[in-house]
Amino acid sequence: MADKSKDVSSIYSPIAKMNLRTKTLLTIGLTVFILVAVVITSLFINSADITTNFNAMNQAPSFEHLFGTDWMGRDMFTRTMKGLGLSVQIGAGASILSSVIAIILAFVGSINSKLDSFIAWLVDLFLSVPHILLIILISIGLGGGAFGVTMGVALTHWTSLTRILRAEIKQINTSEFVKLSQRFGKSKIWIAKKHILPLVITQIIVGTILIFPHAIMHEASVTFLGFGLSPHEPAIGIILSESMKYLATGNWWLALFPGLALLIIVLLFDIAGENIKKLLDPTSANE
Amino acid sequence: MDQKYIIGIIAVLLIAVIGGALFMSGSGTPARADNELVVAAFSHGGEPEAGFDPMYGWGDRGEPLIQSTLMKMNRNMTYQNDLATSWKANDDFTEYTVNIRDGVKFTDNTTLDAEDVAFSYNQAKTTGEAVDLSTMDNATAVDKNTVKFTLNKPDSTFSDKLLYVGIVPSDSYNNETYGTNPVGSGPFKFVQWDKGQQVILEKNPDYYGKQPEFDKLTILFQQNEASFNSAKNHELDIAAVPLAYANETIDGYHAFLSESLDVRGISLPVQNNTGETNEDGVALGNNITADKSIREALNYGISRENISKGALNGVGVPNYDGISHLLPWYNKEAAIKDGDIDKAKDILKKGGWEDTDGDGIVEKDGVKASINLYYPSDASERQAIAVAVAEQAKEIGIEVNATGSNWDEMDTIKFTDPIVWGFGSTDPITMWGEYYSDQAGVGYNNPALVNNSAVDAHIDKAMSEPREASYAEWSDVSWDGTTGISPKGDAAWLWVSEIRYTYFVDDSLDISEDTFKLQPHGGDAFGNIYDWTRVSSLNETS
Repeated sequence: MADKSKDVSSIYSPIAKMNLRTKTLLTIGLTVFILVAVVITSLFINSADITTNFNAMNQAPSFEHLFGTDWMGRDMFTRTMKGLGLSVQIGAGASILSSVIAIILAFVGSINSKLDSFIAWLVDLFLSVPHILLIILISIGLGGGAFGVTMGVALTHWTSLTRILRAEIKQINTSEFVKLSQRFGKSKIWIAKKHILPLVITQIIVGTILIFPHAIMHEASVTFLGFGLSPHEPAIGIILSESMKYLATGNWWLALFPGLALLIIVLLFDIAGENIKKLLDPTSANE
Repeated sequence: MDQKYIIGIIAVLLIAVIGGALFMSGSGTPARADNELVVAAFSHGGEPEAGFDPMYGWGDRGEPLIQSTLMKMNRNMTYQNDLATSWKANDDFTEYTVNIRDGVKFTDNTTLDAEDVAFSYNQAKTTGEAVDLSTMDNATAVDKNTVKFTLNKPDSTFSDKLLYVGIVPSDSYNNETYGTNPVGSGPFKFVQWDKGQQVILEKNPDYYGKQPEFDKLTILFQQNEASFNSAKNHELDIAAVPLAYANETIDGYHAFLSESLDVRGISLPVQNNTGETNEDGVALGNNITADKSIREALNYGISRENISKGALNGVGVPNYDGISHLLPWYNKEAAIKDGDIDKAKDILKKGGWEDTDGDGIVEKDGVKASINLYYPSDASERQAIAVAVAEQAKEIGIEVNATGSNWDEMDTIKFTDPIVWGFGSTDPITMWGEYYSDQAGVGYNNPALVNNSAVDAHIDKAMSEPREASYAEWSDVSWDGTTGISPKGDAAWLWVSEIRYTYFVDDSLDISEDTFKLQPHGGDAFGNIYDWTRVSSLNETS
C-alpha cells in the first residue's frame, strides 16, 4: 500500500503503459511527422515571397517575427523554414546517392578478392582525407550550386555504409545456405537478390537515414564557408554566414534560431534513425 | 556515435560564436601612441593585389601616400599644384606642358626630375592598369623641370590625369619588385607590408609639402564586420564599414558619413543578343532589355526614393543618370517622376507586353519579361538595391532575379545581363567610358552598350572645350532636350542612388571634414591626411 502513489502515476500515464515497441513507433512517428511538416511547409514558401521591409530592419524576436528580422527586414522564421527545407532536400539527395554508391561498391567487392581489396583501399583513401576538404574540392570542381554540393556530399559519405555492407556480405557469403545455392549452380546475381539483399536491407535503410544528419551538416558547413549554394539562396549555411556580419552589432537572433533549428532537424534525423534501427534490427536494441 | 560528436561540436560553436559576439564589448585599451595612426579605410579595406605600384593602379583614385602626384584636387573641385609648379595646355588640348618643382628627392635620396615624370606616365600607359591614359601618345622630358605630354586627340580632361599617377624613380624602377618595395617622394615612406594583413608607413621627413602630424601610419586590410569589430575593440582610428552599419554606435567613436561621387546603377543593355562577342569572347546584348519599353518601365516604375530611404538606410540620394549632384556637370533635367506603377504598366502595354497567362509577369511574342540582375555578394548595399529593385519590378510585371555572384563569374556576363555597378569620379572622362559608342564592351566600359551618335558628339565636343566651359556639354550627354542616356532619352541604365561612405572615427581624431576630399568610386580617405590632428590624447578618451 505504501507504493500506491507510484502506481497511480503509472496507471494514468499512457506513455508508461506502452511497451518498448509502441514507444519506438511513437518516437519514429513523431520525428518523421515533424520532418515531413518542415519539408512541406518549406515547399509552400516561395523565395520570392520573402520580401524585404525596410521599416522593420534588425528587429529582435517578437510574436510578429518569431525569429526576428534581418538587415533587410526579412522575416527570419520564414527564411529559416525555407532553408531547412532546402537542407533536407539536399540531404535526401546526397544520402540516397551515397547509399546507392555504397550498395554498388559493396556488391562489386563480393565478386572477387582483387576487387574487394581495391574497394577496401578506396574506402581507406576516402576516409583518410578530411570530409570537408573533399566536399569543397568536388563542389568547386562540379561548378558549385545545389548540384555541386549534393554530389560533393554524396561522393564522400558512402564509406562507412560500404564498410558495414562489405562485412555483412562477407559473412553471409560464408554461410551454409549460400554455399548450397552455389552448388546448385545459382548465379551470383540470383544469390545477391535472394539471399544477401533481404538480409542487408535493414542496414541499407538505417544507414541511409543515418547519413542524413551528416549530409545536412556538411552541406550547411560548406555553404557557410562560401563554397556551396549561391549567396542568394535561402540556405541555412547562407543565413548563418550572413548573420556573422551582424553579430558584431548585437543581432544574436540571426544566428541563434537558424542554428538551433538546424541542430534540431539533425537531432530528429538521428533519433528517427536510431529508433528505426531498433525496430528493424531488434537485436541491436539490446546494445 | 560520431554524429553525436558533430552535433556537440556545432552546439558548442554556436554558443561560443553568439556568446563571443554578445560579450565582446569594447574593453581594449589602445595599443598605439598619439602620434600613430591605425586605420582600416583604404578603399574600404581592399588590399592592392599588385602592391603599392602606381603603374598597377595604386592610388589611381585617391592619395598614393608613398608617391607624390603632379597635382591634387581640392574639395571644391579646383586644382592645386603639388609636384607641378604650373601647367598649360595648347589651344586644341592636344599638348600639355607641366613645370615641376626643383630639388625633390625620392626616399632613396635620388633626385626626382622631369625624366621620372615622363617615365611614370609612359610606363602607366604601357601597363594599362592605372588611370586611363588612352588619349596620351607619349610623355617626354623637355628639360630637367619640364614635361610635355602629347595626345592623340583633343582631351580637355587630361589635366585630371595629372592627379592620379604617382611618380616612380625611372632609374631604379622594376615592375616585378617595385610593388612590394616602393620608393617615392610622398608624405610617407614605406616600411613593411604584411600581405593579407597590413602595410606600415612612416613619415617622410624630406617631404616637400605640408607635413602630416603623424609619424606612423598603419593601414589594416580589414573589411566590413572585421573593421567594425576592431573599432569596437578600440584597435584603430578609422574604420570603413558598409552602409548597413551607418546607424550603429560605438563608444568613443563618431560615425562620419562622407559624401561620395559614387553612384549605384543597373546597366540595361540596349542591344539584342545576336551572338556577337567582344574581343575577349564575352557575349554582348540582352533580348529583353533591348526593348526600350522594358527599360523605360523600370525607370519610371522603380521608386528611387524608397530605395534611398529603405535599402540604403536613409542616406542615399536618388540619381537618374550616374552623375552625382555634387559634380558641376550634374543635370537637373535628368530627373523624372518615378515610382509611378501605372505609368510603367502603361508603357509596357504600349510596347506590346501583356500578361497573357495570368502569372503577374508580362510577355511579348511568347517571351517572358524576365531578367537576371547580378550583384557582387560581398557588397551589401548592392545586394539591398538588387533585392529592392526585384521586388518593385514584380509589381509592374517584370521579373527580376536578383542573383548574388562574384566578379569572376560576372566578367563572363557583364555585357549580357544587368549588373549593379558603381561609377563616379571628378574626372568627366568617366562618362566617355560609360557611354561612348566605341567603348561598348571594352573592359568594364559601356556595359549598357549605349550607341547614340548625339551622345558621342557631345562627348567629342566636350573633350575639345576648356574643362570648365565643357561642363554644359557633359550635362548634355545625360539629356540635351531631345536625347541622352537618362530615362527620358535612351533609358540605357537604371541609375538608382548616390551612396555615402561610412566611417567610424575615433573621438580623439579630427579628420578635418571641411577639407575631406570628395570620394570617387573606389576612393580612399587619405586625401586630406595633412590636415588630420589628434585633438585629445588617446588614453583620455578610452
